[in-house]
Amino acid sequence: MKVITANRLADGRVVYFTAEKGWSENPDDAVRLSEADADATLTLASGDVLTVVGPYLIEVDSSADTFRPAGRKHVRETIRQTGPSAGSTRALEGV
Amino acid sequence: MALDSTRQLTLDPVEIPAERSPEDALHLAAGSERVDILFGSFKDGRGFSLAAHLRKAGFTGELRAVGPLLPDQEGALKRVGFDTVLSDRIDAGGRGVRVPFESVYQPDPTGGGTAEPAYRQRALVARGQHADALAEMLEGASPEAILARTLEEYRGRIAVLSSFGSEAALGLKLIADIAPATPVLFLDTDRHFPQTLQYRDALIERLGLSHVEILEPDPEEAAREDSDGQLYARDSLACCALRKVRPLNRALAAYDAVITGRKRHHGGLRGSVKAVEFDGERVRINPLAHLSASEVSERFSALDLPNHPLVEAGYPSIGCWPCTAQASAQGSREGRWAGQERTECGIFDPEPGKRAERAKSVRLI
Amino acid sequence: MYRYDEIDREIVDARTAEFREQVQARLSGALTEDEFKPLRLMNGVYLQLHAYMLRVAIPYGVLSSEQLRTLAHIARTYDRGYGHFTTRQNIQFNWPKLVDIPDVLDQLAGVEMHAIQTSGNTIRNTTTDPFAGAADDEIADPRPWCELIRQWSTVHPEFTWLPRKFKIAVTGSPEDRAAIGVHDIGLKLVAKDAGEIGFEVHVGGGQGRTPRIAAKIRDYLPANELLAYLTAVLRVYNLAGRRDNLYKARIKILVESMGADAFTQAVETTYRDIRGRELALPAEEIERVSSYFVPPPAGAPDEAPSNDRAFLTWREVNVKPHKVAGRAIVVIALKPYGKAPGDATAEQMEAIADLADRYGRSEIRVTKEQNLVLPHVEAAALPSVYEGLKAIGLATANAGRPSDIVACPGLDYCNLANARSIPIAQAISEALEAAGLDEKAGEVTIKISGCINACGHHHIANIGLLGVDKKGEEVYQLTLGGIADGDAAIGKIAGPGLSANDAIDAVVTCVQVFADRAELGETFIDTLTRLGHEPFKEAVYGA
Repeated sequence: MKVITANRLADGRVVYFTAEKGWSENPDDAVRLSEADADATLTLASGDVLTVVGPYLIEVDSSADTFRPAGRKHVRETIRQTGPSAGSTRALEGV
Repeated sequence: MALDSTRQLTLDPVEIPAERSPEDALHLAAGSERVDILFGSFKDGRGFSLAAHLRKAGFTGELRAVGPLLPDQEGALKRVGFDTVLSDRIDAGGRGVRVPFESVYQPDPTGGGTAEPAYRQRALVARGQHADALAEMLEGASPEAILARTLEEYRGRIAVLSSFGSEAALGLKLIADIAPATPVLFLDTDRHFPQTLQYRDALIERLGLSHVEILEPDPEEAAREDSDGQLYARDSLACCALRKVRPLNRALAAYDAVITGRKRHHGGLRGSVKAVEFDGERVRINPLAHLSASEVSERFSALDLPNHPLVEAGYPSIGCWPCTAQASAQGSREGRWAGQERTECGIFDPEPGKRAERAKSVRLI
Repeated sequence: MYRYDEIDREIVDARTAEFREQVQARLSGALTEDEFKPLRLMNGVYLQLHAYMLRVAIPYGVLSSEQLRTLAHIARTYDRGYGHFTTRQNIQFNWPKLVDIPDVLDQLAGVEMHAIQTSGNTIRNTTTDPFAGAADDEIADPRPWCELIRQWSTVHPEFTWLPRKFKIAVTGSPEDRAAIGVHDIGLKLVAKDAGEIGFEVHVGGGQGRTPRIAAKIRDYLPANELLAYLTAVLRVYNLAGRRDNLYKARIKILVESMGADAFTQAVETTYRDIRGRELALPAEEIERVSSYFVPPPAGAPDEAPSNDRAFLTWREVNVKPHKVAGRAIVVIALKPYGKAPGDATAEQMEAIADLADRYGRSEIRVTKEQNLVLPHVEAAALPSVYEGLKAIGLATANAGRPSDIVACPGLDYCNLANARSIPIAQAISEALEAAGLDEKAGEVTIKISGCINACGHHHIANIGLLGVDKKGEEVYQLTLGGIADGDAAIGKIAGPGLSANDAIDAVVTCVQVFADRAELGETFIDTLTRLGHEPFKEAVYGA
């Protein structure tokens, strides 16, 4: 499954595209997209140039109930969602 | 109709993509009245340097920047030499009034711009103020005192301008006594009396002047503007510009202060010459300004200085042979450009005061 | 330090007003993001992983206490209470809102600061020796020249849309502390016998994807010709530098593809064409700018003796000799064990500003090692400075020691990063402390970059780590033998990529080998040169 994420134009915060065709800071609000729907929805979301910057698709773990980034960029997307992993790397191995 | 279509033809712009080399661009632009530099992207900075290069190389036609350029770039584009920006992004979106930058940190890259960079604005203000202070301090001082102070003050950036004319030996002697390595600039117009050249060499030897720069006209300019060598007869002002003004300006680029032999008794525009003046760019030191003609001769005798051979022959002021005649009074410039309105070759801006005022009118810091 | 005059103020104010309008135009849709992005970048505004990031210029790393307090205020008001000092002697704020940034820039302008050209394909902040004007081995103070370059390069009409970013460094000491060998242009002040000063000019160095050491293209440039020559180099680059491939757009690639000789010739030809009165720096302006950088007066003669061992260790490690009697250079290492390198809280910044006011002529420097410096401390006040730093947790005696680690923000913040840097640095720092290696090992530098852009300077680290992305996992390459200052050198890859844990262990192991096998007084590079890379590789990767 995929979701669409971007940074909000006015303050740069991480946001996710929702089923209501809006944007939310809560990743659990993100609309989950099948491969088939992903590109068309991204095109739609990308039109929102006065609200967000640079929307793109990310992979999420479809088996998880809550937002869990998957795929090659999972570390990056986890950090984007949870914030900088200040502290010990060893403690963050679960990422 | 025929006339219109011809005009249309000549005004058809030469189009130069920004990626062309500066050599190609110059070649393509040569002879045309309008050049369009084509920007594929507003981020392509090459067009900026191409424009500066063309302007610096002397292209005077209309230069247009064409492409998806932003209003934010218009100011910089004009500073590098463009006359016009043709972009559909300029007026898009109603951006309103752009923020003007009134001061700049750089000279215009065209080499011919009018914006003085901050470093020059500040330096010229400081230089003028310093010259004023020196002028006040040296009011009524002897030529020796004036030279001692100013040669020290501007060491490394001061030169002497000398024609090796009738009165030149006095100033040169005083300078040689203090700093014989001071650069002496001599304009070799190729129109001097042979006596002047002999006298020059003799004086250099005798006074021990160790740094004399012989300034000649640019050979390319001379070939273009005076191919038959008769320019002096047709237009003496143009001849002076070619053989004196421009070579001197080139040489003076390295100096911030220049010592001249001008004296008030020469009359005309020189009647009010002061010992230290600022011309808006350089400080002019005129250490002999207050000496009368007879004081000059007295000092010549006292210092046992040789006279220019032509003085005996009745030439009180000596320039190039085509434009110098005999005259009556000692020290007089009557024989220069006799029969013409002129009394000066043009190397001295007749209105130094105005330029200096302009330089000083820069907002003080 | 330099103070703005009316012209400086007007230019910075105009730029700030211009950016305010540009932000407005982006919010209203009059500027597209593609158009806005380069404009915001050249005003220091990035869009990172979590938020916008504002990089504020600290010209040649020199700050006044008043400016540092303003940075603290900005950290507290518009950010999350801290700032991050960078390897280019700047500071970054990680959390400002775009809509607030024009106000931040106004506040900066109020204390003669800005964020102009801290990013983008422009001429960036000029860097120099953090000990400039205080070092006892200086030929001439580089700061006046840095200021002259700052002004010349600011809002340059011709050089704002370069093929790629452009970095200039100046050193005034024979012992280069500005890493001029890895800059687009490196300038070294040299003196002629007659005392005239000028510059040795190096071009085409850099780190990043293709690390190169700069080629010397001129032995002596008269100092007042500096701007004409820089203009010539930049014009050649602006016209001929590659624009078709981001990775080949830096001047180092141009110098390499043309050959240093042909490149030099092109620069010299352009220089002859453009030099002249307009581009010559007038003596009066050099004198005016120089007058802002006079050495401090001598300090009180006596430094009270102390028995405090911790103080004495700190004094030995973090205090450097000053050229003026009775003064000392204090390095404030922003490297407490286990903390993020280069971070300082608003409270720490304010406390340091107070110390600078009380004991150090109100001046602070930022170093490319991500530390701060009090350049002009009264030697007699060193114990008080130490106590003051201890109170804010910044009295660790590790300046120049193994745990003085450099790290870029990495994947914790940066949009370009492939791997994390800060947590790796924190873990290494903790391990070094636990093993007592700061005391046992000699001089060694450790630097970590989270991607090939090399903001963490790993190429020129004695021990470097480069984070890469390998199929979605963070993997680190270990390099050995890089040198930043003096005769700069690029480190060599030691072996296969390592997991985060293994990379941490590998760095600590290398320091341990160094500590065990160094002869008296040897630096890491000395030992590495003597023993070769093998013993280190063996310890890390096994035989």
